[in-house]
Parts: sequence; structure tokens; C-alpha cells
Amino acid sequence: MAQKYRSAEIAVIALLALVVAVWLYRGLQSSHVELEVNDGIGLTPTQIESIKAIGQWEFLAISDEELIDTVRKGFFRNDQLARIYYGTLRLGIDMRQVGPDWIRLENDTLRVLLPPVGLLDNNFIDEARTKSFFESGKWTAQDREQMYKRAYHRMRQHCLTPANIRTAEDNARENFKKLLRTMGYQNVEVEVRSEK
Amino acid sequence: MGKDIVRYLLCMGCAIILLNSCQGDAEHDGQATAGQQAVDSLPMLILQIQKCARLYTTEVHVHKIVTHDDVIRLRGSLLKKDFNLTVPLGDRKIAIPMNATLKAYIDFSQFSEKNVERNGERITVILPDPKVEMTSSKIDQKNIRQYVAIARAEFSDAEMSSYEQQGRQAIIESIPSLGIIETAQENAARVLVPMLVEMGYKEENITIAFRKEFKTDRLWLKSIEALR
Repeated sequence: MAQKYRSAEIAVIALLALVVAVWLYRGLQSSHVELEVNDGIGLTPTQIESIKAIGQWEFLAISDEELIDTVRKGFFRNDQLARIYYGTLRLGIDMRQVGPDWIRLENDTLRVLLPPVGLLDNNFIDEARTKSFFESGKWTAQDREQMYKRAYHRMRQHCLTPANIRTAEDNARENFKKLLRTMGYQNVEVEVRSEK
Repeated sequence: MGKDIVRYLLCMGCAIILLNSCQGDAEHDGQATAGQQAVDSLPMLILQIQKCARLYTTEVHVHKIVTHDDVIRLRGSLLKKDFNLTVPLGDRKIAIPMNATLKAYIDFSQFSEKNVERNGERITVILPDPKVEMTSSKIDQKNIRQYVAIARAEFSDAEMSSYEQQGRQAIIESIPSLGIIETAQENAARVLVPMLVEMGYKEENITIAFRKEFKTDRLWLKSIEALR
């Protein structure tokens, strides 16, 4: 009789264990765990610091990319940081620099004397577009600032060439002639003042 | 012989420790080392030159602080019970201040006789729609602030660049709310009217108009498309 009870107990326990095992199996099958990392930026306002009226004619835009790298030599390994900087140098004339009587009507000829062609804005690097190409080791804000300055000087050196300035001057003459002809003046002469 | 080997190993060990500590100092003082040992090894240049005829009439300086709150969360479901937990000691935060210059311009490359109407002494110049361009941006590197919990790695240069690019995009997307186009139209007249006066037209006979009664939203969309 006691053996019969024991067998029944074992059967009940086995059944319960089976039920628990099935429940656990089904539960774990539908379970999932994942690590979530946020890659986006927070919502912050864009604040206007200043608005000003300008009058700048752009006649040549030179888009430049510069790969700047810096290496710090160590005993076991060298640390390296390489970044790609983007910038657009805009060449043209600033209307604040026009002289008195810069447009003169002589008989049937309109004579125009434009101010010298130059770089319209010294801030031409779009640093927020910079791509990080390679990084090893730890680099500071000062290191990045130095790299920005090197990119700035290299872009100026490569883009502010006499040939590009001449191209901008020719384009300025051509476009001013075209503009003034559309306004009814057939004989137009345009000169560009050279930089002192 | 055995003593020599021990002495040699001791000397080598001291030398390695000394050199390693020097390297540690060098890494700590990035500016000094960048000045002394930075080597330029990968010069590269890509240029694209484009002739154009644009009249920039308005310059706007904007400022934005890009923030990123990097919290690792463990989420999922276990035995049909959902959970969403913050992993302890896994916080990272960074704030990147940046400045950008936006300029509004009138594109004169397609300007022709169709844009000018003359009626005796009167002249009407019909200008194309103004557009807005981000001409430069600058990250305020010195004022970047970051907090990194003990269990996390420092922000990498690639991560910071990614947040800066997202901040740049956010500035471009905020252009419609800045109201630059109307100012650009007014300023265009301020540049062109004195020029026409110099050419002999009387100020009261000059009208500067815009191509059409445009819908502001459409115009902004165009400007944003151009920026992208």
C-alpha cells in the first residue's frame, strides 16, 4: 500500500516537474534581453546671436577638403588622429569697399570701378561637418584646435592663389557687364581695382 | 653570470618603466606634445571650383549647444514580464557648444532681360527667390563638457563628430523658423537701389520686386534642399 502511494507521489511530482519545465521552456522561448544605447542628440534651441545686412558679390566658390593628421610618438606605440575638414572659400567683392562715383556715365558708356576681389569671409571651414577618419590614443580639445588651425592655413594656401583671384576678377567683369546690359546699357566697361 | 642577467633584467625593467611614464606624461599634456612631436604624414587635397554670381545680403550668426545623454538601458521580457532597467555606472553625457554663420543670397546666374521691366524713367527689377546657406561653423572645443561614468569609455572622436554633424543638421532644419528670407529681401533692395541711383535712375522710380508671391514654406523647403 505504501509503495503504491510512493509511486503515485513520484508520478505527481514528475508531472508537476514536466508542467514547470514546459512553462519555463515556453516562457524563455518568448523572452529576450537587449542593451539599448541612445545615439541621438537632445533637443536644444538654435539661438540667433546677430543679424546684419551685408552686400557681398560672390564670383568664385572653391570647395576644399583637407585630411589633417597628427601623430604622437611613444615608446611602444604611436598615437594618431586623422580628421577630414571641409570648407568653402568664397571670392568676390564687398560693396562696403566701393569708392565714390564707382559707376559713371560718360557719353554713352557706363564705366564701373569695382573694389578688389578678395576672400569674402575669413570663417570658411564648416567644422561641424568634419569627419573623424582615424583615432588611437587620447586627444584633447587643444589638439583639435591645432588641427583646425592647420586645416585653415592649408585651405588658404591652396585656394587663395593668384590664378583663382584672376578667375574671380574675370567672372566679376563678365557678370557685372551682363547685369548692367540687362538694365539697358549696351556700352559697359568694368574694371576691378587691384589689391594694394 | 647569473648576477649579470639579474642586473641586466633590472636595468631593462627600470628603463621600460621610465619610458612608459614619460609616454604617460606626454599623453596627459596633449597641447605640448602636439606642438613638439605632431607629424603631418597624410597631406591630401580635393578642390572643386565653381564660378557663380551671388549677392549675399544677410548674415546671421547662430549658437547651439548640442547635448547627448548616453544611458545604457537593459530592456526585454523574461517569462512574459517586460522590464526596462538603467545599467548602473553606465552614464555618459556631453555638451558641445557650436557657432554657425548662415547667409542669405540672391542668385544672379540666371538673371536676364526677363527680370527687368523699363517704362520710361521707371525701372522694376524682379529678383529670384532668396536662398540660405550655412557658410561656416565652429565648434567651441575649449568649452566642451563631458561626464563619463567609471564603467564607460571616453567619447571617441568619431562619436563627437557624429553629434556635431547632427547638431549641424538641426541648425539647417531650424532655418525656416529664423525668418531670414524677409530680411534678405529688404537687404537686397538696400544694395541694389543705391547702385541704380548711381546709374542715373531716381530713387522714386526704382522698384525691387521678387519673382512671385511665393509661399514661404515652399521657399524654405527649396533652401533646405539646396543645403543638403
